[in-house]
Amino acid sequence: MLAPILATKLYVPPAQHGAVLRPRLIGRLNEGLHRRLTLVCAPAGFGKTTLIGEWIAGCGRPAAWLSLEEGDGDPARFLAYLVAALRAVAAGIGEGILDALRSPQPPPTEPLLTALLNEIAAVEDDFFLVLDDYHLVDAKAVDDAIAFLLEHVPPEMHLIIATREDPRLPLARLRARGQLSELRAGDLRFNPSEAAAFLKGEMGLDLSAEDIAALETRTEGWIAGLQLAALSMRGREDVSGFIRAFAGDNRFVVDYLVEEVLQRQPERIRSFLLRTSILERLSGALCDAVTGQEEGSGMLEVLERGNFFVVPLDDKRHWFRYHHLFADVLFAHLMAERPDQVPTLHRRASEWYEQNGLRADAIRHALAAEDFERAADLVELAVPAMRRSRQEATLLAWLKALPDELFHVRPVLNVHYAGTLLQSGELDGVEARLRDAERWLDESADLRGRPEASSARMVVMHEGAYRRLPGSIAMYRAGLALVLGDVPESVTYARRALDLATEDDHFRRGAAAALLGLASWTNGDLEAAHRSYADGMAHLQMAGYISDAVGGSIALADIRIAQGRLREAMRTYEHALHLAAEQGEPVMRGTADMYVGMGEIHRERNDLEAATQHLLRSKEQGEHTGFPQNPYRWHVAMARIQEAEGDLDGALDLLQEAERLYVSDFYPNVRPIAALKARVWAAQGRLGEALDWAREKGPSVEDDLSYVREFEHITLARVLIAEHRCDRADRSILEATGLLQRLLQAAEEGERPGRVIEILVLQALAHHVQGDTPAALVPLERALTLAEPEGYVRVFVDEGRPMARLLFEAAAHGILPDYAGRLLAALEAEEDRSEDQSHPPPALPAQSLAEPLSQRELEVLRLIAQGLSNREIGERLFLALITVKGHNRNIFRKLQVRRRTEAVARARELGLL
Amino acid sequence: MANELDRPMVYQIRLKGHLGPKWADWFGDVTITLEDDGETLLTCPVVDQAALHGLLRKIRDLGMPLIFAIRVKPP
Repeated sequence: MLAPILATKLYVPPAQHGAVLRPRLIGRLNEGLHRRLTLVCAPAGFGKTTLIGEWIAGCGRPAAWLSLEEGDGDPARFLAYLVAALRAVAAGIGEGILDALRSPQPPPTEPLLTALLNEIAAVEDDFFLVLDDYHLVDAKAVDDAIAFLLEHVPPEMHLIIATREDPRLPLARLRARGQLSELRAGDLRFNPSEAAAFLKGEMGLDLSAEDIAALETRTEGWIAGLQLAALSMRGREDVSGFIRAFAGDNRFVVDYLVEEVLQRQPERIRSFLLRTSILERLSGALCDAVTGQEEGSGMLEVLERGNFFVVPLDDKRHWFRYHHLFADVLFAHLMAERPDQVPTLHRRASEWYEQNGLRADAIRHALAAEDFERAADLVELAVPAMRRSRQEATLLAWLKALPDELFHVRPVLNVHYAGTLLQSGELDGVEARLRDAERWLDESADLRGRPEASSARMVVMHEGAYRRLPGSIAMYRAGLALVLGDVPESVTYARRALDLATEDDHFRRGAAAALLGLASWTNGDLEAAHRSYADGMAHLQMAGYISDAVGGSIALADIRIAQGRLREAMRTYEHALHLAAEQGEPVMRGTADMYVGMGEIHRERNDLEAATQHLLRSKEQGEHTGFPQNPYRWHVAMARIQEAEGDLDGALDLLQEAERLYVSDFYPNVRPIAALKARVWAAQGRLGEALDWAREKGPSVEDDLSYVREFEHITLARVLIAEHRCDRADRSILEATGLLQRLLQAAEEGERPGRVIEILVLQALAHHVQGDTPAALVPLERALTLAEPEGYVRVFVDEGRPMARLLFEAAAHGILPDYAGRLLAALEAEEDRSEDQSHPPPALPAQSLAEPLSQRELEVLRLIAQGLSNREIGERLFLALITVKGHNRNIFRKLQVRRRTEAVARARELGLL
Repeated sequence: MANELDRPMVYQIRLKGHLGPKWADWFGDVTITLEDDGETLLTCPVVDQAALHGLLRKIRDLGMPLIFAIRVKPP
């Protein structure tokens, strides 16, 4: 469940009755309507919100409104509110995002926004999205999210940002492209006639032109100043005298006027204003709780009617807030007059919020009261819900605001702290906190006191959480050890966590079993890995984490593939998709990962079209339906398809991209992308680069073998064979055969037929390259025998011409002739295709450049010439913008030009296009 | 040097308009000096850059015109 959404933050302020109409500004706003962003940027008290409310009301377009607050910098919370706001204009929008945010592993923000943008584009009517008080969000994550939205916003949505300071968005670029409409302080100031209309109309004051001019000059058209001035003039006999005194005084306008206003209020109003100034939102009941009086609602009504900077937050006049500036000034008065009261007022507010089920506000006020004990109690109770709703950033901020000594007597809270740190990737301090909490678990002592802490009493809010503590500690230790690469330790702790979890504690059982599975996988004990991980997923499913159980299938299938059980891997994916589909709409998270996995199996079976279709399907239904690893896995899968299609440069680009997107997410890195790149280089004959890889990443023929490095060692054998192919005298072939023999033994012992097949194929090639075909047929026969029932194709066909020779010989000698024949046919089809491509003659035109353009750069150049934008080129080639720009830079450098048009012209001159 | 700026420092901030003495607490530990030309000089010890930016934000939130801010040597 996500944290409750406060409807008051989504309330669109209605146009105020009798407010000064500002046609000159409305006109300017309307002119900017076709641009992407309207920025209303001015200090407090310039009427930003009022003006936007008036514009929206007059414009007749529906609006999604979000009034931001300090805390909204937590990306999960921001997104949840963004979706809630958008639902005012498009019911039911963003269900997929909310679902993703509920998962234990939320995806990064960008894919979520992409999915949201697609939904926005489907909204029928044009509408506004207003982000009010944007300055209160001080978070790069939110700035980045808004910049991304702006970059891709569909024409249906017009974004309005109201703020006190320029937001950290690429404003200069938006201005230059004519995508930004701005109103600033200079525009918003009341001119003399507006000031006159305001004082007369809205504030009901009958002033002389001279007085109005004096006020306007003194306040410089600052609306809040004029409103305060009007308030302090009400009921005065000598208005002109007041204005003369005000105009002749040097004091800061607000300072002078609030003093005047407060002095003229009866004591009960004055004290009400000061004491409620600590509140972000005001309701009658909350004000009563804070002031200890019983007239809150009535008082708020009086204040609203009297234009006391009270802003309604709903239609029912239930919730209000003070104008922020007014609240600040009132609070300064409170601090000066009764600083001793401030903590008490905050504590009362905290209690009221707690009683009314608004825990986050209760915590905020408890922290403001510096009542850390209370805050710690509340945080401890709030943790499970905060974790489930993925508000880890907020949770971490709360935990960090608490004094450290509190945690020494609060083992449950301290373990939560450790877990939150681990989840946020802050590994320092995790173990120290777990150890500190453990002091309280000595069974010989009773619950309430420990010998070594006799002066301190343990504080635990929830007995059940305390009982589960040993299990939680073991679980986090298992996770920490796995991240740090200490597999045996991870296994020890995961086992302990499993032993400690009660039968019905499916979440902990599931997490511990999954960790155990990951550890076994890292060790290469695949059968045990599959068993534990499957068990873990079953428990997670029972605990209600369906999408995580779906997503976990990629691990199960990966394990099956290493075991050479392609059919079973396919069934794993199908079963998971079925489970996901049973949950109904929206598309469940994890499905995108399944399509990628299925695509890889289709590729291995040489159905490249089906493989591509599956990858496109994965992409089409939105990245938010994938888990964190999916973007990188997608790019690896697509790279391998392009490799199979013979586009090795394209494959390398995609692998580069995959490297950038790589996240381990606790999975062992059993197929490192760097090794995949080295394989492509070896296939291209770029041995220097392939050998550099071996030097940098360090696999060597002398290494002890381990499962996590198996893929790298097999890759090394490939590189060594390729090296020998270039230079027959090279000793590398001896090293390769020695290494392959050891690899074969290890993979057989580890029962990994999937790997055995590839090793046997390489052994056959090693014999072949040395001219010993009869010896090559021995491992080849074994490979074919293992591979046929599972339908392997690419593992043979990827080896090209040498493999064709061997398969021909095998078939001639009656070794699995049907299967060998099918593989041969696939190889021949491939040869025909590559010959087709080489006619008409060379794909690379003769280049008179000092540094010729690569195949890939020419491809990009052709797309540029077709008028595609960088983004479109990226979409066409499945590359990130940054990669396309890298190609552009190389093209420009090689052609010695500065921009795209020049590049195209120059390329035409040189006959490259 | 970066770490020099992370040490406690004294800043002087000049604002337009006179500010009453009660604001000293609101701003934290500042000394308020009213100048004859209708401006206010805030002398503010800050522990680091983050504290300075917090102070500037308070000034922004009051809507007070900021004329300048300079670092002065601690007395």
